[in-house]
Order: sequence, then structure tokens, then C-alpha cells
Amino acid sequence: MAIKPRVPVREQPAEERIHNFNSVPYGYSEEEAIAEAQRCIQCPNPTCEAGCPVNIKIKDMIRLIKEGKFAESYLLTKQDNAFPACTGRVCPQEDQCEGVCILVKTGQPINIGKLEAFVADWGREHNVTEETVSASKEKKVAVVGSGPAGLACAAELRKFGYQVTMFETLHKPGGVLVYGIPNFRLPKEIVQHEIDYLEEIGVDIQLNMTVGQNISFDELRENYDAIFLGTGAGAPQFMGIEGEKLNGVYSANEFLIRANLMKSYLFPEWDTPISVGKKVGVVGAGNVAMDAARTALRLGADEVYIIYRRTMEFSPARNEEIEHAREEGIIFKELVNPVRFVGNDQGWVTGVELIKMELSEQDSSGRPRPVPVEGSEFIMELDTVIEALGTVPNRLFLSRAPGLKTDRKGVILADDNRMTSIEGVFGGGDATSGAATVIKALGEGKRAAESIRDYLEGK
Amino acid sequence: MSHKITRKMDLNSDDFYVEVEAPLVAERFRAGNFTILMTVPHGERIPMSIMKAEDGKISMFIKKLGKTSRELYKELDTFENVIGPMGKPIDIKNYGTVVVASDLVCGHAENYAICKALKEAGNKVISYQTFPTEKEIYPEEVLANDVCDEFHLTTEDGSKGEEGHYIDLLEERLENGEKVDIVFAGGSLPNLKELGEMTKEYNIPTIVTVRQIMVDASGMCGACRVFVDGEMQLACIDGPMFDAHKIDWGAALRRPKMYAEMEKVALEHCKELGRCE
Ligand SMILES: Cc1cc2nc3c(=O)[nH]c(=O)nc-3n(C[C@H](O)[C@H](O)[C@H](O)COP(=O)(O)OP(=O)(O)OC[C@H]3O[C@@H](n4cnc5c(N)ncnc54)[C@H](O)[C@@H]3O)c2cc1C
Ligand SMILES: Cc1cc2nc3c(=O)[nH]c(=O)nc-3n(C[C@H](O)[C@H](O)[C@H](O)COP(=O)(O)OP(=O)(O)OC[C@H]3O[C@@H](n4cnc5c(N)ncnc54)[C@H](O)[C@@H]3O)c2cc1C
Ligand code: SF4
Ligand code: SF4
Ligand code: FES
Repeated sequence: MAIKPRVPVREQPAEERIHNFNSVPYGYSEEEAIAEAQRCIQCPNPTCEAGCPVNIKIKDMIRLIKEGKFAESYLLTKQDNAFPACTGRVCPQEDQCEGVCILVKTGQPINIGKLEAFVADWGREHNVTEETVSASKEKKVAVVGSGPAGLACAAELRKFGYQVTMFETLHKPGGVLVYGIPNFRLPKEIVQHEIDYLEEIGVDIQLNMTVGQNISFDELRENYDAIFLGTGAGAPQFMGIEGEKLNGVYSANEFLIRANLMKSYLFPEWDTPISVGKKVGVVGAGNVAMDAARTALRLGADEVYIIYRRTMEFSPARNEEIEHAREEGIIFKELVNPVRFVGNDQGWVTGVELIKMELSEQDSSGRPRPVPVEGSEFIMELDTVIEALGTVPNRLFLSRAPGLKTDRKGVILADDNRMTSIEGVFGGGDATSGAATVIKALGEGKRAAESIRDYLEGK
Repeated sequence: MSHKITRKMDLNSDDFYVEVEAPLVAERFRAGNFTILMTVPHGERIPMSIMKAEDGKISMFIKKLGKTSRELYKELDTFENVIGPMGKPIDIKNYGTVVVASDLVCGHAENYAICKALKEAGNKVISYQTFPTEKEIYPEEVLANDVCDEFHLTTEDGSKGEEGHYIDLLEERLENGEKVDIVFAGGSLPNLKELGEMTKEYNIPTIVTVRQIMVDASGMCGACRVFVDGEMQLACIDGPMFDAHKIDWGAALRRPKMYAEMEKVALEHCKELGRCE
């Protein structure tokens, strides 16, 4: 029997969506979801599940969708993944579940991501809830950071019955899901729903509290029986080249925090300004770069360039984002690298000097190493530059937590049970791995909660 | 969580005083720390120096500049968020003879806090507070006169107190061979640059507040980057006070103007809503 092609995902047309911050995909309807689920051949040995970092029971999730049992499908998914509505939208599926679906050979793997998002949205819209907290226990756990790692850990600990207090630096919980990933990819009401749930089951969320700054790490150690560190890897890296001091040069983090957390796209109804010129250059080609580029376009830029030293086939961004960016008219400048930024006498950036690159032999990342072509420098005019070069753990917290072992980059070391070098202090997500993925952070948060339970019960 | 404003008063026609309930910030404040405010839920996160922290409340001096400060002055009796204390406190110890100087709203707030902390640490504290003319001088109850050993109120036109800017008055003393072990100063950025140039000649360590635009104020965005001794530092977590002799002043003076055009738009919008004057 020939396999039917994928059920297409309806989306906002590109010419419309570049003027708003609403979700790009509309998501599957019930009929569409069932039709897509029917394409799954229910493999006796479902390879898709091995590709999912938290091994969601994908085959059964899809079977239940096919049978129209959406609530059951949702609850099954929730067993392994606290936030399927988020991961269904932001996982790099082509490298994970869908990349190893048996149908990948046909070029049309099952759209597992969109099916997962569908059941999760269905569950939310129909108020499907899981069984909640087991008998209340007295032991107290502090969770530092409210990104996916912290949220997943807190939810799980609360379900075990522990008293959970979560500390977050910012005035809104959610970590990168709220301050980094734009609304057009991950609508904020979805994240808010998960946070509301956490509060409903009794997690105490303390906002505006930076551990190490306005509450000390030692105080947490004295007052809590265990600690989970989900502090992420949120500090920006700069290229360290000439001209970075110029006005109009942003880190992607600042640009996205202004746009998403502070809602600059609603300026002046919302107070925080953002500066976007007519020609914007984004350095880098990962998810963060795509988000910054597409945000700049929506904020009114005429031309937005992705400036990348390799070619797009080696970009670490999700395929869907690259595709969406291309449709929206983002221009990919491949095989070039900034040498310096140039500015005018008022100190504003006016362009970037680029050097052409060539791909040579493979480097440690398995990708070809870009090498500069001598004498090929040229100037590209720009009004705004956004550097999206990856992020590292925040040194503020690390400098206030002596005794916590890290690697050279400040990535906190944790063992297989997610315990750090300090007894009773656990960690997960980007804080313990460097910038990674939402699903990895969720998985590690949950795993850490199980270890914390074992630790507290064994004590 | 909203924070109640317990006192608001005019300091002069431009600057006003605000005291707000913020027990967590008050309890942990040390001289050199600042706070991040959000006046309303859709507001900007803006940094503010703290003049004093007592009884679960903090006091600030605020200049009526743009949307946030003007709406606060005219309309608000609460803050949406009062966050902190942020930044690194100064190294509070006995240096010997210390000069603390200021010529602008934020500097005057810090002047009080730093004098108080350094006097308690046993220093001989000399405070300078410079205002343009007699008209702008703050009420005596908020000046640093009772938290230092030697107080100098100065006006640039000489209409009250000593005549001259603190930079010139301090230079005169140094020329006369007076010994000063360290200077702390805050206020106008161009003047802090000039102060640094002057004290460098006398080899006196000079620590100044480098006001930069901030967003998260926890080291996550890089907006507040300043270049000190050639190294990138973040004013929000490494500062906001740095060695005046080592700062790249060109960038530090320029970056705060990045949003000037948009700030005008925000103020106009607020005026249209009738919430700013
Ligand atoms: C723009 C952008 C786009 C991305 N796109 C994708 C994508 O499409 N797919 C994908 O899988 N991944 C994506 N990622 C990566 C993904 O978001 C992260 O891997 C994930 O969020 C890590 O989760 P976390 O909980 O470890 O950390 P974070 O989400 O970074 O959360 C950490 C939280 O801890 C808080 N915190 C830090 N220090 C302290 C302290 N001392 N005290 C209190 N709180 C503190 C921070 O404020 C923050 O809220 C993207 C990242 C960015 C920045
Ligand atoms: C460490 C520090 C301490 C400060 N202490 C004081 C103080 O004690 N009293 C006081 O009146 N002001 C202080 N400021 C400056 C204060 O943050 C700005 O005056 C305030 O943001 C103005 O907001 P606005 O909407 O009224 O004006 P706007 O029209 O928005 O801005 C006017 C000017 O204020 C500065 N500014 C604007 N937004 C920010 C921001 N997010 N972060 C920093 N600066 C900004 C810019 O230079 C701008 O040109 C301090 C700043 C820093 C960094
Ligand atoms: S969590 Fe991510 S990898 Fe796992 S099934 Fe869902 S979309 Fe695929
Ligand atoms: S591998 Fe693909 S076809 Fe097989 S069960 Fe998983 S999703 Fe269905
Ligand atoms: S304000 Fe964002 S790093 Fe300092």
C-alpha cells in the first residue's frame, strides 16, 4: 500500500505574518490530525521513540489520535513530557523523532511534532488534567530558575508531594520559553497555561529573586532539604571584534528580551523601546539567529540578512525555521564572517566588514571548517547588527556558589543522577550542558526530580 | 506584587523623592547597590540608585525625564516591581580620608548612602554636593550633611554655599597638598570623565557610577556593557561603579543616548493619555 503524503500544516501566509507576531502554523484540526495519524504504520519496533530524548510513547500517542481518543493520547504524552505543547512546536524533530521514523526513507516521515502539539492543544482547550499531588510531604526543595528544566523538575517534585519553592530572576517565569523564543513560534498563552498549572498544584513561584544576588546560595542550602539548579545558559557571547561598542549593535539576547519579555513590538503601548534600522544583519545561523532575524523583519526592517560563515546546509537551526525564514524573505549571506563593525561619527553602526570564507576539512563538530580567503574583505552596509553567537552560563550565579564544580565555560558538572559536586544540589538543562534544547531540559528536570526523591527518602 | 509608595515629595522643580515599601531590597541593601523598577505591568525595567534603606522601605531621588519618571510623578502611588538589590556594593572598609562627590540626582542619592556606610566603617568622610544654582538645592533633610565628617554644599554660580563645581574645589585642595585616599563620585557622566582625568594626575583612586541602559540587570543581555581597561564588563553585575581611570569613556558617554528618538515618542504617547506632563 502506498503511503499517502503528509497532511500539510495550514499556516499564515508569509506576506501577512511578517506584519504580526501571531503563530505561524495554525496547527492540525481534529480531522487533519486523524488523517496524519492514519499514515503511521504502527511499527512493531517503533524507531521514532528511540529518537525522542525522553522516549515518549509516540506509537501509542498516534494510535490514540487515530482512534479519536485525544484526552487519552494527551495524558499518555504527559507521562514522559511535561510540556508537549511546547516541544511539539520547538523540538528539532528532523534530528530526533521524525529523523528516525521508518517513513523517513520515503521523504515523508510522520509529522510527530505537529501531532504532539495537536493533542497538547486539545488537552488544554478541553481542560484535561492529570491526577495531581500525592500525600503532602514536609521536605522542602528549592528550584532555581523557571525555564523548562526548573518547571519540569518543580512539577514532578510537587507531584511527589514535596514543598517546592521556585526562584526566578526575571519578573515573569518561563525562561527562554518566555524571554527568548518569539510568540510567532511559541504563543505565550501556552507557556502561561503550564505555569498556571504549576501554581494550581501548589508550587510557590518567587519572582524577581536572583539566587546569589538578592538571596544567597548558602541561605537556600540552610533552608531547603535539596536544591535543583536550572539556571540555564543565558549570558551572551560577543565576537570581541572592533566596533562592538557602537550604538545599534545588539546581542541576540538583548534584542529578543526586549521584543519578547518586554513586548517592544507593542511600543509605545508597552514602554520598552527597540531600535531596528532598515537593513539588519544577524551574525549566526542557529535558532536564535532565525528568531532574531524574523523578529527584526516583523519590527519593520526592509532587508534582513543572516550572516553565516558556513553554508545553510550546516546551520544548526530547525529546518522549519529556515524554511519559514526563507519564505518571509530573510536573505542568507553564506560563507562570510565579520572582521569588524564600522560606524559614523555619531557612534552608530553603519556596516560590517566581511571576509569571504571557504569550507575545508571537517572539524570536531563534524562540519567542514570555514577558513578565511585572504584579501577578500568587503563592506556591507547595515543599520542594525545582532550577534547570535551562542550563550554561556551566567557567571553571576557561579561566582556566588563556591564549591560548585564547573568546566572551563562555566557549565555545571552533574553525574548520571544529576547531582552536582555538592551533596543535595542537583542540576539540569542548559546550566549543566551548555545551550541545548527544550526537551533535553525538560527530561533532565524530571530525571533530577526522581533523583531528589531517592535522595530525600534515603536520607 | 505591587509596592506601596509611602512618601513622594519635590526636591526641586526637576527632581522628586520617592519612598516605597520594598522589604526584601531594604533588608539586603548595601552602598553601591541599585534597584530595578517597573512602575506598571507594561513598563520598562529601569535602574535607580538607592539613597537609604530603612524599616522595610527604600528612598530614591528621581529626575523627571521621560515617560516612566513623569508618569510616576503625576499618576502613581504604587510600583509594579521593586527588584534588587542589584549590582556590586562598594568595598566598605577604612580607606582613611574619603571624598564622596555628586552633581546630579542619582549621584546625590549615592552620596548619602556611600557617606553613611564609609563613616560607619571609620573613614574621615568629606562630602561634596554640587547644584547649578540655589534654586536646585535639595531640602536639607535629604542631603549628606549628617552622615559625613565634612560637608560642602556648592553651587556652580555661587548663589549659595561655596562657589564652583566639586571637581574644581577638590582640585584646589589637592593642589594644596591635602591627602585624599580615594574618591567616590556619581552624577553627570561627562563630569565623571573629567573628574577621572583630574584625579589621575594626583594618583588618587577614583570610583564612579557608570550609568548605562539596562534591561535584565542580571548579566543576560549585554546592554549595559562598558569597557574597562580594554575588557568588556557588565555594569549591572560587575558595576555599576568602576575605576574612572580605566573606563572607555567614548562608548560609555554615547550608549545611553541610543533610544533618544523613541523616548520622545513614548513621552508624547503618555501625554496624549493624560498621564504625563
Ligand atoms: C532564542 C532562542 C531560541 C531557541 N529555540 C529553540 C528551539 O527551537 N528548540 C529547542 O529545543 N531549543 C531552543 N532553544 C534552546 C532552549 O530554549 C534551551 O535549551 C532551554 O530553554 C533550556 O532550558 P533551561 O531550563 O535549562 O534554561 P532557561 O530556559 O535558560 O531558563 C533558566 C532560567 O533561570 C533563571 N535564572 C538564571 N540564573 C538565576 C539565578 N541565579 N537565580 C534565579 N533565577 C535564575 C533565568 O532567568 C531563566 O529564566 C532556543 C534558545 C533561544 C535563546
Ligand atoms: C545604576 C543606575 C542608577 C541610576 N540612578 C538614578 C537615580 O538615582 N535617579 C534618576 O533619576 N535616574 C537614575 N538612573 C537613570 C534612570 O534609569 C533613567 O533616568 C530612567 O530610566 C529614565 O526613564 P524615563 O522613562 O523617565 O526617561 P526616558 O525618556 O526613557 O530616558 C531618559 C534617559 O534615561 C536613560 N535611560 C532610559 N532607559 C534606561 C534604562 N532602561 N536603563 C538605564 N538608563 C535608561 C537614557 O540615558 C535616556 O536617554 C540610573 C541609571 C543607572 C544605570
Ligand atoms: S518531545 Fe520532541 S523529540 Fe520527543 S516526540 Fe515530541 S517532538 Fe519528538
Ligand atoms: S516510526 Fe514512524 S511509522 Fe513507525 S510507529 Fe513511529 S511514527 Fe509510526
Ligand atoms: S542589563 Fe543586561 S547584562 Fe546588564
